[in-house]
Amino acid sequence: MNKYLLSAWALALGTGTAVAHITLETQEAAVGSTYKAILRVPHGCEGKPTTAVRVQIPEGVISVKPMPKPGWTLQIKKGKYEKSYQLYGEAVTSGARELDWSGGSLPDEFYDEFVFRGTLAADLPAGQTLYFPVVQECDGAAERWIEIPAAGQNEDALEYPAPGIKLLPKK
Amino acid sequence: MSVASFRWTTCRFGKRAGWLAIGLLAAIMLLAVIAAPNRALAHAALVTTDPADGAVLGQSPTQFSLTFSEPVSPLVLTLVRPDGTPVALTSFRLSDQTVEIGNPEVLGAGTHVLSWRVISADGHPVGGSVMFSIGAPSAAPVVSEAVDWGLRSAIWTSKVLLYIGLFLGVGGAFAIAWLAKGGRSGQRFAIAAMLCGLVAAPLSLGLQGLDALGAPLAHLAQPVVWQTGLGTSFGWTVLIALMALGLGLLSLVGPRADSKLFAFAGLVCVGVALAASGHASAAEPQWLTRPMVFLHGAGIAFWAGALAPLGLAVRRQPAEAGLFLHRFSRAIPYVVVGLAAAGIVLAVIQVQMPRALIDTAYGRLLLVKLALLIFLFTLAATNRWKLTAPAEAGETEVQRRLVRSIGVEVLIVLAILGVAAGWRFTPPPRALAIAAAQPASIHIHTLKAMADLSITPGHVGPVAASIVVMSGDFGPLDAKEVTLVLSKPDSGIEPIKRPATKPGDGTWRVDDLVIPVPGRWTARLDILVSDFEMVKIEAPIDIRP
Repeated sequence: MNKYLLSAWALALGTGTAVAHITLETQEAAVGSTYKAILRVPHGCEGKPTTAVRVQIPEGVISVKPMPKPGWTLQIKKGKYEKSYQLYGEAVTSGARELDWSGGSLPDEFYDEFVFRGTLAADLPAGQTLYFPVVQECDGAAERWIEIPAAGQNEDALEYPAPGIKLLPKK
Repeated sequence: MSVASFRWTTCRFGKRAGWLAIGLLAAIMLLAVIAAPNRALAHAALVTTDPADGAVLGQSPTQFSLTFSEPVSPLVLTLVRPDGTPVALTSFRLSDQTVEIGNPEVLGAGTHVLSWRVISADGHPVGGSVMFSIGAPSAAPVVSEAVDWGLRSAIWTSKVLLYIGLFLGVGGAFAIAWLAKGGRSGQRFAIAAMLCGLVAAPLSLGLQGLDALGAPLAHLAQPVVWQTGLGTSFGWTVLIALMALGLGLLSLVGPRADSKLFAFAGLVCVGVALAASGHASAAEPQWLTRPMVFLHGAGIAFWAGALAPLGLAVRRQPAEAGLFLHRFSRAIPYVVVGLAAAGIVLAVIQVQMPRALIDTAYGRLLLVKLALLIFLFTLAATNRWKLTAPAEAGETEVQRRLVRSIGVEVLIVLAILGVAAGWRFTPPPRALAIAAAQPASIHIHTLKAMADLSITPGHVGPVAASIVVMSGDFGPLDAKEVTLVLSKPDSGIEPIKRPATKPGDGTWRVDDLVIPVPGRWTARLDILVSDFEMVKIEAPIDIRP
């Protein structure tokens, strides 16, 4: 068989890499500060409208509050943190672990943003990247923006990278 | 002792010997059935090896393993070091279809060759080698894998001579005892054929031993060669063939009164000897193939054996040969129908796909044999339905034509025996198909997760993948989703990505998969452990052409 034909065939079969990812607008923040996260959703899943966006809150991001959105049902899944954090002199041991906007419909050709804010704990390691895995659900399909690069791995090699921010030293 | 009582004694003795022979025969057949392995598939094919062929290892492995398409017993296992010095590997363990071989020493850097030679139920040895490197590849040591044509010709010749002894010799003795009605034409021919067989039978055992060990002809005198030959299933064939030849000779030179009994026992032994080893006897289903090989062998002996005595009888004593000719021609249609039916059944089992007739050496030999058979059947039919009646009536011109035609038939039979002996060296398409259908399997082990992936069949074309995922410490892993990604970066083919489904038996499956090119692919499994966590593990997998 012709090699080019084969390649074309394989190309047609293999899913093409995503052109645009779900990302955070502000891509760096200092530890110990309050961070306003703006999740940018540039398209649906393979042409289908987005019906739900779920974000996992990583350990060390406390006192999280999502911004309500007209047309979407907002849910906060709460849980215990792995350890206790100090916030304005008070110990905090639990809070939001997952935010869930659902019941809406964002067509593939439209763009939208999903917003929440939270405090980056002071003891988060500055210089590293903190990831917020996102599951984008559409009607009968899903795209999971949950891949975290292994040590030394290039982030560009990932098909569905989780959005993340670079942690800066405490101001 | 009076002459009469002497005759009575010999007669009694002969009868007793006859019953003894039949009892012995029954015992041997029983033994052969008991000794026949249950899972014989014939001509083992190598499925996977550890280390894989061409693998580069970080450090010396503690053991090697070879997995075949069916259970085997190792004959010779050798490790060749990078400098070319061989090390005999003597410690091995058989577990089902896998031979696990202990590595006696810590291997240095460089390319090593693991050379193996094994034997399976059909009694035919197969060999090969696996190359792997420690650290980095070096110049590969030289291992001779060349075909020993001298040994091959010797095996082929001894096989043809054994066939001559069994079919023309023992078969001839049967024809003389049962059909010739006291005529003794062809007796010397049959005796000569059987003597041929008596020389060839033990010799072929030694040659089998040489082939099994991969030793040159010069080593024929070594006892281990003969022990090895006797230890293979072909050992049975030789032992029973020797009995057949002995019984055939006894029927011609022994007491006349029991010649029929001996000749019959001899003919039965011919069938049993052939059914004891070889491709066809080792094929599944055994309850069908072994009796079919028996029928085929006994039928050939009846037909081919009768030709020479019949031809000689018609030529020398046309008057007495009439009855011989009459009996033979009455029996032969039934014998040929049985013979051909058994042959067709065996050919269908062995060849499976009509295309294999042309694509494989085995199939091509079968075509040559069929062409010779058509020629033989035409001659035989002419003899039977055109020449027999006038020849029996005493027409001398027709009798002469019949004798010439029978002579040609004998020559064709010899050619067919030569072709059939060539099958000794060609695996049947059935065995090749079994080898081709074997899955390509890998085990991927990481700290986070591990998986067993097998792609069936392990060659290019439409395949199905079966996946079992486990956690890194062999615990159960209830994945939400599993996706198989096959890629081959060196061939410019983009990854083939397929979600796996859960059929409900604890595995994951991908059915609609086509692998376009052979070679080393990278198999990656994307395992969705929880909503927000995915584990990706990958390993190379070799896809056969």
